[in-house]
Amino acid sequence: MAGSRLEKFGTVFTRVRDLMRSGVVKQSDKPIWYDVYKTFPPMKDPLYVRPVAKRYGKKEEAVPDIFYREDENRAKFYEGCGTGPRAFDLSKSSFVSTCQRFVEKYTEFESQGELEKQSLFEETGKALLAEDLGLRRRGIPAVASETRNPVLGMKLTDMLAEQQADAPGGTRAPGKEKPTQVPLNPQ
Amino acid sequence: NFMPVCSLGLCGLHHPWLVAAGYSCSGPLCATAVAVKTLPLQTDSTNVTDKILNLPLEMPDFFRCADRLMEPYLFGSRLDQDIIDLDQTVEHLQSALNFTAHIAYRGSVILFVSRRRQFGHLVESTAQDCGEYAHTRYWQGGLLTNAPIQYGPGVRLPDLIVFFSTLNNVFQQHVGVRDAAKMNIPTVGLVDSNCNPSLVTYPVPGNDDTPAAMELYCRLFKMTINRAKDKRRQMELLQGRSAVGLTTSS
Repeated sequence: MAGSRLEKFGTVFTRVRDLMRSGVVKQSDKPIWYDVYKTFPPMKDPLYVRPVAKRYGKKEEAVPDIFYREDENRAKFYEGCGTGPRAFDLSKSSFVSTCQRFVEKYTEFESQGELEKQSLFEETGKALLAEDLGLRRRGIPAVASETRNPVLGMKLTDMLAEQQADAPGGTRAPGKEKPTQVPLNPQ
Repeated sequence: NFMPVCSLGLCGLHHPWLVAAGYSCSGPLCATAVAVKTLPLQTDSTNVTDKILNLPLEMPDFFRCADRLMEPYLFGSRLDQDIIDLDQTVEHLQSALNFTAHIAYRGSVILFVSRRRQFGHLVESTAQDCGEYAHTRYWQGGLLTNAPIQYGPGVRLPDLIVFFSTLNNVFQQHVGVRDAAKMNIPTVGLVDSNCNPSLVTYPVPGNDDTPAAMELYCRLFKMTINRAKDKRRQMELLQGRSAVGLTTSS
């Protein structure tokens, strides 16, 4: 069967139509898809578009950026609290992250309109803390549940110095290890 | 169920080209050919939108490498991720599925092509379930253009090629897109934001990276083709003729 292999000129349909019109392709040899294409053409003709190498001049932003009004609040949240205490669980479609709850609370307070803008941030944080979310500011460590053993805060070099100072005196400071211990590397 | 479609079909029948199209049994065949449109579309139009919106189909390519020609299909870009406009996707998908259904109804050879190794098995099993063909391996240069020499003199080329991803493994356009255009074979292609949709006859803008999206598209195409073939068998039984007499292909 005769054909036209010029994919850069016209569409598949126009080439076959013109071949049939000129008599090269007989009506009996019409392809199956010809009538279907004619009845239901695509939304855009599949014409070959030559790739343009460079766009000179100012490049227009053809694809708009998607930004929402709540993005400002989200930015404030992440600036203040880092990445948030809870990980995102994307397996649940109805999952609400910490940031999202913050934003919802913020918009709630804002719509109530009683508080000023500066205090909105703190109020939202307090409200979320009240819900036991455990938000904390970046840089401030979380409140430890147990107190650290004071022994761990003592340095061995200090202990050794005390020991040497005390050794002629005879008394030993409490919390120290055996006086005859070989001095360890202060690491 | 067929009433609104029959009116569409009758509008088409009034055109002179259809009368002269050479259908020997033109009346019932044309009406049913257009009536096939209801099968994949009416049940799909609501389902497809719901399914697409519920699935992560809008997770497209990263780092703003959208092809210039895909920009009309994009809704926007959120933090450097291009989001495809799903309203347009639904329309394109309906058009593509309708075309596939009609082609399958007329007894054609459909070829599924995808060079994504992740979904190779899925595409092959979809083709097997439809009773159609798949090519998910290396595409030899002369597969379509040199077919009579490579595969024998009387080989029949596919009448429709469905690309589940129009890119090959080096992120260039698949050779099959250009070859199908050369051999005057219409193509249906799932184009992602880094693909070139110009040569694809019925492009469907959508994500080709996630398994959920690919499974949806495979399922839709399989359903469409199976329904079209069932409808065909039904019409053949009703009219009591063999398949050979009805097809208009050479």
